Amino acid sequence: MNYDIYLVGVGGQGVLTIAELITRAAVAAGIPANYYPTKGMAQRGGFVKAQVRLGRAVVGPRIPEKGADLAIAMEQSEALKAVRYLKLGGDFVLLGRIWQPTAVMLGKAPYPGREAVKEHIRAAGAAVHFLDPGRVPLLDGRPVPYNVYVLGAAVGKTPLGQVLNPAAVAELIAVRWKRGVEANRLAFQAGLEANKG
Amino acid sequence: MQTKILTGNEALALGALRAGVKVVTGYPGTPSTGALASLLRMDLPGRHIEWSTNEKVALEIAAAAAWAGQRALCTMKMSGVNVAYDSLISIAYSGVNGGLVVYAADDPGVSAGMCEQDTRGFAQMGDMPILEPATVAEAYHLTQVAFELSEMVGAPVFVRLVTALANSHTLVEVEDPWPPAEREPILERDIARYTKAGPAICTNQHRDLIGRLERAGEIIEEMGLNKLRLSNKPGGLGIVAAGIVASYLPEGIKIAAAHGLDPETVSLLEIKASHPFPAGAVRQLLDHCGALLVLEELEPYLERGILIEAQRLGFSGRVIGKLDGPLERVGEYGVGHVVESIAAALDLSLPAELFSGRSTAETLAAGRPITVCAGCPHRGTYMAINKALKKLRLKRDQVMVTGDIGCTILGMNPPFDTIWNEVSMGASIGLAQGYVHAGLGTPVIATIGDSTFFHSGIPGLINAIQHQTPLTMIIMDNGWTAMTGMQVNPGTAESFQGPAGARVDIARIIPALGVEHFFEINPFDLDAATAAIQKALTLPGVKVVLARQECAIQAMRQGKMAGRIWVDSDKCNLCKLCIIMTGCPAIKIGEGTIIIDSDLCYGCGLCAAVCNRDAILEEPIL
Repeated sequence: MNYDIYLVGVGGQGVLTIAELITRAAVAAGIPANYYPTKGMAQRGGFVKAQVRLGRAVVGPRIPEKGADLAIAMEQSEALKAVRYLKLGGDFVLLGRIWQPTAVMLGKAPYPGREAVKEHIRAAGAAVHFLDPGRVPLLDGRPVPYNVYVLGAAVGKTPLGQVLNPAAVAELIAVRWKRGVEANRLAFQAGLEANKG
Repeated sequence: MQTKILTGNEALALGALRAGVKVVTGYPGTPSTGALASLLRMDLPGRHIEWSTNEKVALEIAAAAAWAGQRALCTMKMSGVNVAYDSLISIAYSGVNGGLVVYAADDPGVSAGMCEQDTRGFAQMGDMPILEPATVAEAYHLTQVAFELSEMVGAPVFVRLVTALANSHTLVEVEDPWPPAEREPILERDIARYTKAGPAICTNQHRDLIGRLERAGEIIEEMGLNKLRLSNKPGGLGIVAAGIVASYLPEGIKIAAAHGLDPETVSLLEIKASHPFPAGAVRQLLDHCGALLVLEELEPYLERGILIEAQRLGFSGRVIGKLDGPLERVGEYGVGHVVESIAAALDLSLPAELFSGRSTAETLAAGRPITVCAGCPHRGTYMAINKALKKLRLKRDQVMVTGDIGCTILGMNPPFDTIWNEVSMGASIGLAQGYVHAGLGTPVIATIGDSTFFHSGIPGLINAIQHQTPLTMIIMDNGWTAMTGMQVNPGTAESFQGPAGARVDIARIIPALGVEHFFEINPFDLDAATAAIQKALTLPGVKVVLARQECAIQAMRQGKMAGRIWVDSDKCNLCKLCIIMTGCPAIKIGEGTIIIDSDLCYGCGLCAAVCNRDAILEEPIL
């Protein structure tokens, strides 16, 4: 099964780590995978995207417009930059975090509202899976890693969960970092079960 | 044999190790950096691997190692080829003994900045073979082929990756590296080969060079590097795809087949070596097909060669590409280019907007101009320049501040809007002199980073001193080649220079050049830095200001902090002056007060320096 994933966010949010984990999980399951990150010039705070293409032995790194089965956005405004890559009938996992540029903070530039972003995604013919950042669980008073939570939600709510085995992804996350094993485990599990009940 | 997830850069580097490379040099440049960086992370006894001062120096080191019979690799981004080329073409004339491979990473679509130049043009001008892998696995294999070819012919060979390939990660089969071959260095004195003194020497070398390229063409054909697959049905479409574009063909042909293409009629020529021109394979394709489609990113080098062959053979069909056809010389290619150009070649009708998604969404996204990181010392320098100009009652649009390559260019963006231009490594200081001679009545300032100063800034400064051209050069020394991901440069602290390395101190270079007015400033001390720049701008002759503070990202990785910052929320009236002046990503707006994000804050204190209500408090550490 071919499955293409377009990920966007802001440098420092862990967008590339989500893409890397998906790639590793796919490769471990014997699925051909190509992961192409684009960081631009910024160390932190700039636009970051990643393109993951699963299932083809020979594949170009870039997903065409209207080609992505799944889009994942870690930031509400940056989400808009993934919309044109969405396939009709695709899925969009949107974390509603807001990372305001300076001009927005100063009231000199507009920032897109949550409903407007969702509306654009729906108008592109995709299903919106909205994640409220306020519902990300806390551990020792701090939110668990948002990116692992978002990955959990993508596995739990979209066909990515059929392409990859959720238990295998959880296992990969458990060994990915030396520290914060508990926080990441909790983040992934909470993501898998997000928006239920 | 083992399988690993590798980037194109890493695969190329491992290919060089498998080929027994002994000397590896380069200068950091996106997207090429990852190749040499991956080797520096490994323990590789018996090999020399270094970041050199610039690409020309790097190339000369690698070339002489190859003259002495060893295998050598030199890595750079496409702009670096401009720097190295003065030596490279001369070395191509002389030929090499050991294998010399030059890795150039091109950036169609410009993910990182700089010109969309096509290194294949340099290969043509210097009569050098160039190999263009289409996949990460091919980057591994063709790098080994490049060393073989280089030694069989006695010529330097380019390997060209593009950004999408250099940065792609995928599973690749690799074998164990070979240690460098035990070769006694060759010492060959032959002025007819190793000098350029006189027309006889140079024209003979030129003839030999052309002969080596022809031989390379024969070997490439014998190796079958360029993959030709003729269809069972003659008279159909022939697709020529260069380098990475070939990786989009299976997907593109499948989509085109759903819209009327008969794949049985399509012949393919996947180009892995575009220069010397693959005339044999192209002739077979022209003989077999009714029309040709040429898919190559950037310049139409193959397309022009194909048109010449078509004319020679009296080919009556169309050659579709950039010169005659829908394809552009700008940007990266993808599946859409394959499908749409096949449709154009065969008059297939595609559904409207097959590859045009909902682009209106993007226009609503908030602008996010890139700025310097929280704690970046350059922030203080831009603020000090702006403040010094204000104190001198100079308007910002009257004072030329030239810019240079690297993180220092970020002063072009808000909230600083300090820097006016960016040309190439080291250009800031030459440009500044031109503006002075043009007759500007206002002070002229050149800004440059430490690694860029070492790379190409020094000759420009020497020129200014020789001609006593009045200007102020501000060197922003953060101790690292930061923008490309923190490489060590000559000015990096001694403890990072390796057991045999030494640090070169800019503060000792400037006075030694005879600069009378030399100021060292701490960019976190806004008042003192402003005063020094203000003074420099009023003095005659060449003034140099050295702004020193380590890159905050690197300092924080070493557990350092510049200070501790906290907010007195009773005093903060949310005037936002700190945000307006610093644009620091660590400052956020809270309930009736600003908030400092303690995860991001390095404690530089610049926000405290601009607060006029004493609402931001600072306890310096550094």
